[in-house]
Amino acid sequence: MTATATATTPIERKVHQTVVRLMQGDLTALEVDAFVHYAKENLELGSGYGTAIQSRGGGAVKKEVEKIGGIRMGEAVMTTAGGMAAKHIIHACGPKFQESDTEGKLRDCMNSALQIARENGLKSVAFPPMGAGFYGVPLALSAQVMIDAIRSAAAAGTPPEVIIICTVDGRDFLAFKNQVGAL
Amino acid sequence: MSETRSYKAQKLVERLQVKVNRQIMLSLEACVHCGLCTDQCHYVLSNPGDVTYAPAYKADRIRKLFKAHIDWTGKTLPWWVGAKSVYTDQELEDLKDTVFGKCTNCRRCSLNCPMGVDMAVFNRMARGLLVHVGVMPEGVAVVAKDQWEIGNQMGVLKEDYLETLTWMEEELQSEYNDHSIRIPIDKMDADVVYSINPREAKYDPRTIAEAAAIFHFAGENWTMPSQGWDMTNFGLFNGDDELGGAVGGRLYDAVERLRGKKLVISECGHGFRSTRCEAPNWGKRDVAFPMESAVITMLGYIKQGRIQVDKSKNSEPVTYHDSCNNARSCGMTEEPRELLNLVCSDFREMHPNRAENFCCTGGGGAMSMTEYAPRRLKSARIKADQLKATGAKIVVTSCHNCVDGLFDLIKHYKLDMQVKLLVNLVASALVVPERPSRKMRPLEGYKILVIDDEPDIRVYLGKIFKDQGCLVTEAPDANQGMRAIKADRPDLVTLDLILPYMTGEKLYWELRKDQKTADLPVVIVSGYAAVDSPRIDFFGFLAEKRLPQPNGFLEKPVDPEKLIETVRAVLLEKA
Repeated sequence: MTATATATTPIERKVHQTVVRLMQGDLTALEVDAFVHYAKENLELGSGYGTAIQSRGGGAVKKEVEKIGGIRMGEAVMTTAGGMAAKHIIHACGPKFQESDTEGKLRDCMNSALQIARENGLKSVAFPPMGAGFYGVPLALSAQVMIDAIRSAAAAGTPPEVIIICTVDGRDFLAFKNQVGAL
Repeated sequence: MSETRSYKAQKLVERLQVKVNRQIMLSLEACVHCGLCTDQCHYVLSNPGDVTYAPAYKADRIRKLFKAHIDWTGKTLPWWVGAKSVYTDQELEDLKDTVFGKCTNCRRCSLNCPMGVDMAVFNRMARGLLVHVGVMPEGVAVVAKDQWEIGNQMGVLKEDYLETLTWMEEELQSEYNDHSIRIPIDKMDADVVYSINPREAKYDPRTIAEAAAIFHFAGENWTMPSQGWDMTNFGLFNGDDELGGAVGGRLYDAVERLRGKKLVISECGHGFRSTRCEAPNWGKRDVAFPMESAVITMLGYIKQGRIQVDKSKNSEPVTYHDSCNNARSCGMTEEPRELLNLVCSDFREMHPNRAENFCCTGGGGAMSMTEYAPRRLKSARIKADQLKATGAKIVVTSCHNCVDGLFDLIKHYKLDMQVKLLVNLVASALVVPERPSRKMRPLEGYKILVIDDEPDIRVYLGKIFKDQGCLVTEAPDANQGMRAIKADRPDLVTLDLILPYMTGEKLYWELRKDQKTADLPVVIVSGYAAVDSPRIDFFGFLAEKRLPQPNGFLEKPVDPEKLIETVRAVLLEKA
């Protein structure tokens, strides 16, 4: 067995005009223009980050997603964030539990989230490790697709000024560390 | 004949090839269908005649898969050895019903198998295969997602956890009329880092207070982490090794971050087993510090004379329920009994007991699977009969999961019993010393936050305060200082004025503006008047912003006696 390094000092890189920051923390407590919620097609908030959204944000977000009703795989939609520190939540629907074409769907989901941010002129957006953890997308794949999408958006010239990747623990931080460091 | 396999079934079969290890293979190969396991299972005993509950039958649902895809006999003579794969999503649902709904992974059948077949090890693997393709009871999904994303399996947010600890600390101080009783959070270099079950923070916070009282009267140097505090691990229940490794890793990270010397795990069977025995393997992680159940810790305090107890304070008849994970999987059977006999005057053994005890029926994550509740409660008849036969008024256990399982069945079978944890009984038997066990120092127990960008100054001031018995935390800049104040409000802050990112005067302004911190005592400790910092005019700033004077103002270099005198005056005046 090997000891896992636990150093999770935030890393920041500038890609064109966009600052990309990797940090360990509480995604739903960040003061950003929006954070991304990895959503189901029916937009049900559920547990996990959904628990935090309902607890910290109050009932407003639930009402908004119920009104929207649902989105298709790879799409994203934006709501307010109720009483949370963030101003908005981008609900982005990505692949779950080994479903086919995980990589392609995850890429669509990332691009949709970034497009929503761009269209709404958001300056700072925070992402979790998309699909990793509960939904079983391998961390390495999640990191690769996310970094590719962020790099492409930065090159296109109109991404948010700050993009944060916010991990829950040292384990997922390490999975992103090299990729962000190499930007 | 070829059958088309559904996408999920195909993915499950592929995963099977990865997850079968030597231990699982031996258990799948060794069964001779002797039937000795049958009468060991509480499901069977409460459902006589229903073969689908028999451990060997349940095991064969998984064994058929193994034969079909891995074992050579199944590949060569499938009809002979009963090999059968899965093809449809409905078959996955049927498998789910067996491995989640008809077994709590209690391992009573494993213990009594003459061939050494460990049913729980491959039942857990089968759960993991289903979870991998998204087939699981809704409650299992809810809990697992909370633990993945919030960091604990009940979705307790950080602010709620910290507020609960503060509330319990205040309750304790009021109950014992003793301001020095603390629940220290994120204290560095403590001898004990104490981790809990989120059920305690959410539903049963008195157990935290009781443990805190025991630590206090034992004179323990202890702390609780502000993050990575959940010692439960749903990875054990849903078969997800990745979750198991991640959750264990967060706890180990917390101990390492705080440079704790020992991790003490609150009373929880699966939490103890996962944290101490399984998670290092799941997470491929070396753990350098010792890990201990709170049962052992409390017993040690009594035997070493660090706390005094009076068993006559617990005079009602009690019996003891062994948690499956503590007793069968970790061998912890005698210590809880030794402890009970020290804190109770009428302990009655239930039968069978120790490693042969029956499951509370809420194990293996069963309490989260509401769809199986009627089945669970029916199977609890065997446990109810066991409890009733003791004539005890209190059933004690050392597992929060068992508390819920037992509470449910006691209500269902209308037994006249209460459920308690060992910590409840030890706390109620405590003999509080009339005079403190050690000489109290004037500032004993006060929490001081030192905000200063110079490491030497932080160490220097911290040493002075620690010598007075204070609990000291440090922050190198104003931003981190503000976060520390919000996370765990100190009793007093010493604040340098020249700080990176945000000046000390700006932080002071922020504190005084906020209703929550407007009355937080602040003593300025700064070299601002030195000739190299002519730009800072703190008192001019106060006048301009119409801010109140700080509670104290000391220029560097600081005289230790003057510092203590100032801080003591502020704190005692406030008290």
